[in-house]
Amino acid sequence: MRFNFKLRYLLGLLLILSPLALGHNISASNAQFVQGLVGPAIAPFMYLGAKHMVTGIDHLLFIVGVIFFLHQTRDILIYVTLFTLGHSLTLIMGVLLNMQANASIIDAIIGFSIVYKAFENIGGFRSAMPFRLDTRVAVFIFGLCHGLGLATKLTSFSLSEAGLLTNLISFNVGVEVGQFSALAVMLVVLGSWRRLPSFERYAFSANVVLMIGGFLLMGYHTMDYLLT
Amino acid sequence: MKIVSAALTSGVIAIAVLFTVVLPAEFSYDPLGTGKALGIFGLSEASTFTLTKGELNSDQVEYTLAPYGSVEYKYHLQQGSPLMFEWQATDRVTAEFHGEPESGPPGYSDSYEIGKFTQRSGIFTAPTTGIHGWFWENRTPADVTVTLRTAGFYVKAYEFRDGFKNELLLSKASKSNESK
Repeated sequence: MRFNFKLRYLLGLLLILSPLALGHNISASNAQFVQGLVGPAIAPFMYLGAKHMVTGIDHLLFIVGVIFFLHQTRDILIYVTLFTLGHSLTLIMGVLLNMQANASIIDAIIGFSIVYKAFENIGGFRSAMPFRLDTRVAVFIFGLCHGLGLATKLTSFSLSEAGLLTNLISFNVGVEVGQFSALAVMLVVLGSWRRLPSFERYAFSANVVLMIGGFLLMGYHTMDYLLT
Repeated sequence: MKIVSAALTSGVIAIAVLFTVVLPAEFSYDPLGTGKALGIFGLSEASTFTLTKGELNSDQVEYTLAPYGSVEYKYHLQQGSPLMFEWQATDRVTAEFHGEPESGPPGYSDSYEIGKFTQRSGIFTAPTTGIHGWFWENRTPADVTVTLRTAGFYVKAYEFRDGFKNELLLSKASKSNESK
């Protein structure tokens, strides 16, 4: 039993570590392509938005955390809408106002958002903390952070002014498309797992693994800020 | 109590993994020496140079093109071989930077850039083994002179002019033979 417990954590860790190496920046060739574009380019920006979301382990882990215990369609819609509103707001405002936040710090905050959600999922705020932030408020605030991260990445390229708003909205729609496809997969996987008896047994450890992933991303991006 | 210890444990595990594995591999920062011990130190460090086989040569050619005159000049390069280039024309010329892979069917070519320019410069990395270079055409009513300067790991160039294909040997050895 003791061995199994450790093995489970190790497996989870491996799962979390493997995509870390991929990083979460828009690849150099993609960036070059986007910088070469002048005027509205709906499809390339939509594609990049979707790709950014589907390949971004930080965004994906956060979504897993958010929907882990949600099984009513109404709740899922409320949380996803709040998250979407938050990141759409800062993404579009951030690029239009040319807000430059430090990408590493934003990424570290995104890592923290995973830790926060996982800690909440294991009941941390109910028992260990004297205060408790409304989950919906927290999800909205982290939505703002995720959007600022996206905006920072986009403003780091010299994007053409022509068609900027169209391209931003396309990127944002792409982010939504990517988020919904990731969400659909997770809902199916989590939904079928929830029906098994193992869900009750391992829900706690799954969230602990999620928390390790969040801490790791936090540490990674904090050290990126400090070391480079 | 269980929740707090789980949170603390996960934080400790993350810090341990970060310092033993992630930081040495991602940032070449190895305070515990575990990265060197595991052989993952500096895994993500981009090399600032790549080694190439072959002999470094440089070349300069100049062509004066009459109205509607054209010329093609290409180097034989191995796949992955770099070529530094710079060309200038006294007026706008129609130019195509292209290559013919050795493995391709006869007459096949890959176009890298096509347009009307007075100058281009850069570093090219041959995507295939074959001949790579420029086609210039003067579509102005007056003579235009095109000057090309390059450096790279080539030994042969080909000139296509007036329906003839001329092979030019550019290696240092062949040049010193010529001067004898």
